[in-house]
Amino acid sequence: MTTTQTKPSTRRPDGHQPVRPHGTTPLYKRERPLWMLLPGGLLMLAIIVVPLLVGFFIAMLDLDQYTLRQWFSAPFVGFANFTEAVTNSPLLHSIWISVSLAVLVTAVTVPIGVAAAISTQNRFRGRGLVRSVYLIPYVLPAFVVGTFFRTMLQPQGVVNSVLHTDVLWLNGSASYWALAGVMVWTSWPFVYLLSLAGLQAVDLEVHEAASLDGATWWIKLRDVVFPYLRGPLSLAVIIAILHNINNFTLPFVLFGIPLPSSVEVMPVLTYIASFQSFRFGLSAAMAICSLVIVAIPLFVYLRAVQLDTGDDAGPNRKQRRADRAVLAAPAAADVEGARA
Amino acid sequence: MKTRTLIGSVVVVALATLSLQGCAIVNGSGDDPNTLRVMMGADTTYPDQRKQWQRDTAAEFKRTTGADIQWETYSSGQEELTAIQTSVISGQGPDVYAIGTTFTPTAYATGAFVRMGEEQWDAIGGKDQFDPASFGISGPSASKQIGIPFASRPFVMAVNTDLLAQAGITEMPTTWDQLTADAKATTTGDRHGMAIAYADGFDPWKFIWGMSENAGNTIVDGSRAELDADAVQRAYRTYFDWVTKDGVVDEAAIGWNNAQALAQFTDGKAAFFPMTTTTAINSFTGTEVDGKYAFALLPTVPPGATSRPAGGIEAASILSGDNFVVADYGTKQDLSFEFIKQLSTKKAQLEYYDLFGNLPTNVDAAAQLAAENPQLKPIIDAGRLSKPTAFTGAWSDIQLALVDVVVQSIPSLKRGEVTDDQLRRRLQDAQRDAQATLDRQKNGGL
Repeated sequence: MTTTQTKPSTRRPDGHQPVRPHGTTPLYKRERPLWMLLPGGLLMLAIIVVPLLVGFFIAMLDLDQYTLRQWFSAPFVGFANFTEAVTNSPLLHSIWISVSLAVLVTAVTVPIGVAAAISTQNRFRGRGLVRSVYLIPYVLPAFVVGTFFRTMLQPQGVVNSVLHTDVLWLNGSASYWALAGVMVWTSWPFVYLLSLAGLQAVDLEVHEAASLDGATWWIKLRDVVFPYLRGPLSLAVIIAILHNINNFTLPFVLFGIPLPSSVEVMPVLTYIASFQSFRFGLSAAMAICSLVIVAIPLFVYLRAVQLDTGDDAGPNRKQRRADRAVLAAPAAADVEGARA
Repeated sequence: MKTRTLIGSVVVVALATLSLQGCAIVNGSGDDPNTLRVMMGADTTYPDQRKQWQRDTAAEFKRTTGADIQWETYSSGQEELTAIQTSVISGQGPDVYAIGTTFTPTAYATGAFVRMGEEQWDAIGGKDQFDPASFGISGPSASKQIGIPFASRPFVMAVNTDLLAQAGITEMPTTWDQLTADAKATTTGDRHGMAIAYADGFDPWKFIWGMSENAGNTIVDGSRAELDADAVQRAYRTYFDWVTKDGVVDEAAIGWNNAQALAQFTDGKAAFFPMTTTTAINSFTGTEVDGKYAFALLPTVPPGATSRPAGGIEAASILSGDNFVVADYGTKQDLSFEFIKQLSTKKAQLEYYDLFGNLPTNVDAAAQLAAENPQLKPIIDAGRLSKPTAFTGAWSDIQLALVDVVVQSIPSLKRGEVTDDQLRRRLQDAQRDAQATLDRQKNGGL
């Protein structure tokens, strides 16, 4: 769970910091109509905090098929479910599988998505069609994708036929790579979409200025375009990692239950604890443990990319980079010219 | 100002409509005393027939009771469970459920369904209208039953009579070893003795359970799991050897589900197709085996034996089919029993067989069917020789542990050997999981 805090911009329209006498309270700290946050706050309370608290309460109960009916009076077991989840269940193994898959898939999809966005940035005949085709993996329902790939990855399926291999994709160690491949196929368009949105934000004037200054395509890409993509891509990475960690449908449809141990991912493990073993307390504890374990590195990442710093950091830094790029372009062009 | 008022009015009306719609969704027909909510599994094999059957059943119900039926369906066991869970917790939901027999113990454990007493049996037309064998998994004992038998689907073998004749086999195998030998005799070229689905989510545990029962091991003995017993290990060994050692199963079968094994059989590429049932009959029509197949009982003598040992159980199949259960939170129990009474009659049960291939649980209907269809005799015999799985709320986990042994062994099957060490380790894991589940039972598991 992440929260984004914004504060009112103190920047003047011309981009310069406002002049403020020393010792006075900043404008953004005065006369704030905090009551306007109330509806949003109540909504967050209702849809995030309350379910989380209920989940935490359930995690402390011995809630199963025998006590389901009177779940509120199920035996209270304190942190026993948490202890069991961490020490006597495959939770840690499944977190490792889920996180490694998520990072791997995201690392692969980011360059693919950026490349796809760049490839459709300039106008050409059929660009609309290409953009639509790019979105097909994203708009197909996950269970349909899973069913297709399950058929193709059969021992005598089309994948083995094309590759002239005899690999067992849906079981054993290869199933990890099969799942990663299918996840890449379904999730790269998301990165593509956000990258495309970022590219749209690049002012034409900046391109023109860089061109006038003699910047090569690579310098423009590196020092003009990429800084604009930094924000959207950071967001894409976070959302993609979260989405991939929580991916339930693909492994469920591809491999069924029980899962091969090499793809024993966290959401399916939690699902099995709930709906196969009927251990609702344990599965709630698993979910909370997973949340904590996954939230720590995500928090570190959020701090590192400073997505939560509002108006101050992003545009300034972006602007600084863009300015630096424009300034650097003539020199770089000179160097390139000298090489030529 | 007028525009603002207009927009405001539209917003208010929209919100009110949404709220009312929300109420309608939440309440459904739950508050309508004249509509019975019935939940059944979706039928993907015969969807059109299912719809027609539902229409006809609802029309008949309306005629006799004046009430309507609202049908709800689930497409998987998990969906079925989710619906039951939601209903159990909220105290509202379908009035009648048609659930799988192996799920009945779990439903019993929730305590959310009507326990059938004399009054309730009378309300559905009497208990003696049903085949006594079909009560095997209605409850933990005769006095504690919640499941009303509705459909029977005992498991049998389908055999390709042509391939058996070519191999000179005239009698159906009655021991697992004999089945293996016959399968070897019918394996030539691209034809294999048996069509097996190693990657199916259900088939494997049924084989292991059957062979173990034949050896006298019921997998669960009271509150003790027995998955690491020799009989169970021998069952897995036999099951694995078919593909790794005996060569009677296509190697590709390690990635198959039941439908793919069925396809091999209907292509005429397999002599025996164990673990099938009457619902497959329509799948045989118009295929290579049309007119060239017969049903036979699954062996009841355990692997490594020529006769059933003392204590061995003549279990030809798990007790398989559907039970009706009536929710005890509902206020329409009388209507629920009327509905079940309608579908328990001889006529309704025979119609249900004609449409979907499920055998009747009504004793008169079963007798008439057997008399008119001699080819169904092995299946009806299998129904009589069916044995229930352990009646415990922990069964679902135990079943999963049994299948997991196969799932985790598939890479070894692919390599051509599951060693004794590997098998023993996996069985120890399965035993540990199963025993832990049994240890967590409350109310004696019920």
